[in-house]
Amino acid sequence: MSHIHIEVKDLTFAYEKEHKILDGVTFTAREQDAIGIIGANGAGKSTLIRILVGLLLSFEGSVRVEEIPLEKATLPRIREKIGYVFQDADNQLFSTSVYEDVAFGPRNYGLPEKEVDRRVSLALQKVRMEGFEKKPIHKLSGGEKKLVSIATILSMTPDILLMDEPSAALDPRNRRNLIRILNEFDHLKILTSHDLDFIWDTCSRVILLGEGRILYDGDPEEILRDRKTLEESGLELPLSLTTREERAASGRN
Amino acid sequence: MSRITGALREMQTIEETSSRDQWVNALHPLVKFCVTIFYLVSVISCGRYDLTRVLGLALYPFFLFEMAELSFRDALVRLRIVLPLVCIVGIFNPILDRQPAAEFLGFTLTTGLLSMLTLMAKGVLTVLSSYLLAATTPVKGICTAMRMVHIPRMIVTEFMLIWRYLSLFLGEAEKTSQAYSLRAPGQKGIAISSWGSLLGSMLLRSMDRASEVYEAMCLRGFTGDFPSVREEKIHRRDMTYLAAMGAGILFLRLVPVLSLIGGIFV
Repeated sequence: MSHIHIEVKDLTFAYEKEHKILDGVTFTAREQDAIGIIGANGAGKSTLIRILVGLLLSFEGSVRVEEIPLEKATLPRIREKIGYVFQDADNQLFSTSVYEDVAFGPRNYGLPEKEVDRRVSLALQKVRMEGFEKKPIHKLSGGEKKLVSIATILSMTPDILLMDEPSAALDPRNRRNLIRILNEFDHLKILTSHDLDFIWDTCSRVILLGEGRILYDGDPEEILRDRKTLEESGLELPLSLTTREERAASGRN
Repeated sequence: MSRITGALREMQTIEETSSRDQWVNALHPLVKFCVTIFYLVSVISCGRYDLTRVLGLALYPFFLFEMAELSFRDALVRLRIVLPLVCIVGIFNPILDRQPAAEFLGFTLTTGLLSMLTLMAKGVLTVLSSYLLAATTPVKGICTAMRMVHIPRMIVTEFMLIWRYLSLFLGEAEKTSQAYSLRAPGQKGIAISSWGSLLGSMLLRSMDRASEVYEAMCLRGFTGDFPSVREEKIHRRDMTYLAAMGAGILFLRLVPVLSLIGGIFV
């Protein structure tokens, strides 16, 4: 059995007292897991991810990352292990050039400049953005920004990769590229998405959230074919798993 | 292009200009920062009637414009709002101070007029030299130089974050203004009645974005101090530049070059 990277027990979170966003969420994530967190809007997907990375700390229950309890004092240690890619790449990239942004993390961890150079090259190579080092961020397309934002995280060589809606606003080519990058990342990854086809292509385990609770945790093969459960949770079968007739009947192309 | 879009593009252009492959850009930021500070002190310390000496010091920015292959015209366009303000500073001097200082072709030059011209020249030169620093050194480099001269971390970080926040704010302002104009066709500008709500929403949105950017920085190990741009050492060429520019500025400050040249012809 592989090593447990993340352990979440009875996690409850509310922005306002009466309205719980997460209610007693419990799961563990192991080294090789590729977990897709799915659910309708407001199900608590992004909140869960933001808690795991320590952006929201006022939760009840416990979260342990590689056996380190998640709390304010342990944040620097935990953040060295976790890489988080924001939904909006514009909010993740803040430096003047691609190189500067990808080098920001490694430099903050005090790595020597030679190692920073090596990591930047490797990260850009992984996302197929070599040659973009000097390009100003504001001159990148949406898809390129997304890939660079992933490179900014890969350059920190995290043990765990968290991504919020990674396939949003990507064209088919960049989407395929992203699927390849994720499938090549051989550590724990946790993604949130409405794009069930993307989840189907990248994840080995699916957690379905509904009204702040885990409704399903298991094999994608099972849940992504379960039309009834998906529809009850405000989702639809992935397009790749539906027949032409089913698509026509549901009004989808 | 709207004014907001124009301002955003100009900020981006200055950032791009500062990252060009020019030898001036490649110099160590600390050296350029120190030369600029020395130049500013030299200009500001000139006497209030010492117009010729101040004008002599104008050689430095002109030289640097040429060396860095920067367009002087573009600089004037970018500084079009600041420069007139700088020029207004001594506008009342000719009225308040009417003592004759010299006669020139039958025209009496008063000390008030002289001090106004000196103030204007000082203002223009200090703004130009600051522009030159920004156009040849990325903001991060300037911050690194500030830290190297032991300017408190908090001030440097504030400076860096304000610069970043400005571009976020302008970005949000651009989006808001575009969304407004698309739903108010034919209307020139934004109606005064809408200013309050638009400004409020712009501020809130840009603050949201700023806090997300800050979170993204923290998640990548940012703890309030910017790591140095590069751990590059100060090379011989940096020292040469520092020595040459320092000596040049000192010479222009101590020797009234223009008066000497003028003396040859009088």
